[in-house]
Amino acid sequence: MAGPLDFSSMTLQHPTVEEGLVAEEALLDMVCQGEASLGWLAWSPRDRGLVMPRRHERLAGFPEARDRLVEQAWPIRFRSTGGTPVPQSPSVVNLALAVRCHVGGSAAHLEWGYHRLGDPWCDWLADLGVTSADLGPVPGAYCDGRFNVRIGGRKLVGTAQRWRRVRGCRDMALLVHGAMQVGDTPEALVAVVNAFQDAIDDPQRFQAASHVALRDVLPDLDLETAIPGLLKRLVTSKDVAPI
Amino acid sequence: MTTAITVPDDLWEGDGEGVITAWLVDDGAEVAQGDLVAEVMVEKAQYEIEAPVSGVLTIAKQEDEVVAKGTPIASLDA
Repeated sequence: MAGPLDFSSMTLQHPTVEEGLVAEEALLDMVCQGEASLGWLAWSPRDRGLVMPRRHERLAGFPEARDRLVEQAWPIRFRSTGGTPVPQSPSVVNLALAVRCHVGGSAAHLEWGYHRLGDPWCDWLADLGVTSADLGPVPGAYCDGRFNVRIGGRKLVGTAQRWRRVRGCRDMALLVHGAMQVGDTPEALVAVVNAFQDAIDDPQRFQAASHVALRDVLPDLDLETAIPGLLKRLVTSKDVAPI
Repeated sequence: MTTAITVPDDLWEGDGEGVITAWLVDDGAEVAQGDLVAEVMVEKAQYEIEAPVSGVLTIAKQEDEVVAKGTPIASLDA
């Protein structure tokens, strides 16, 4: 257990944003302590917040931006993985996978980690009839990277990682995380990130047209019954045999 | 004896550069082998950097500086 969350449960859990972030850290700790070589977590927050790496706290204007986002009921939270601000709300489903990796092997670099999460995610979408899913960058999207899960070139899932040495040996522990917009409109979530950009006086603005919500392509999908299928794909991938 | 702390060269492919996102101990501090001292971000992946030996830390690259694989970012004097 990680507070109110069950590790390696096959069901979608509904903690607060803060509880979900703490649980992801604990998941990585579990692998680093040698208690497991694989763990996973699927969660969708029951509240909301704008989540970013702690280094954003050093930005000029951050205190004012934090206050402004609180006024808009989007409190800022910090996460341990890389990237830039991402909104978390009941319209987002998060999947986190913690894996122990041998340094020097094929499974000990960030590209492998992104494919380890993203490829099964694309396969899951294909099984649901969405055949245009792939991994790649999305210009104009917030928290863009080379390994978003895209549908038709629009960002569905943002991905990020954290790597830590396993205690007492050269192995590394990887936490790879994906945040998928399932509901709401891309305009609504992009507006939150752009409000932060405005508050810190950063001229970069993000485009709703660069994002897509799962509901837009699969309006009748029942997430509570569908997410276990995604988890099963992630957990049983042949690349993730425990070491 | 001085030991360099370098950005690992075996954790990602290609020539992509990273950025030092945090120093977790102060310049001049004494650290023990295995202590977490810094974080480097590459392509939205945060890597934790540990002290390879015990010693007094001298920081060579500051937060938000861009670093390549294998770059010395600090040294430890035993």
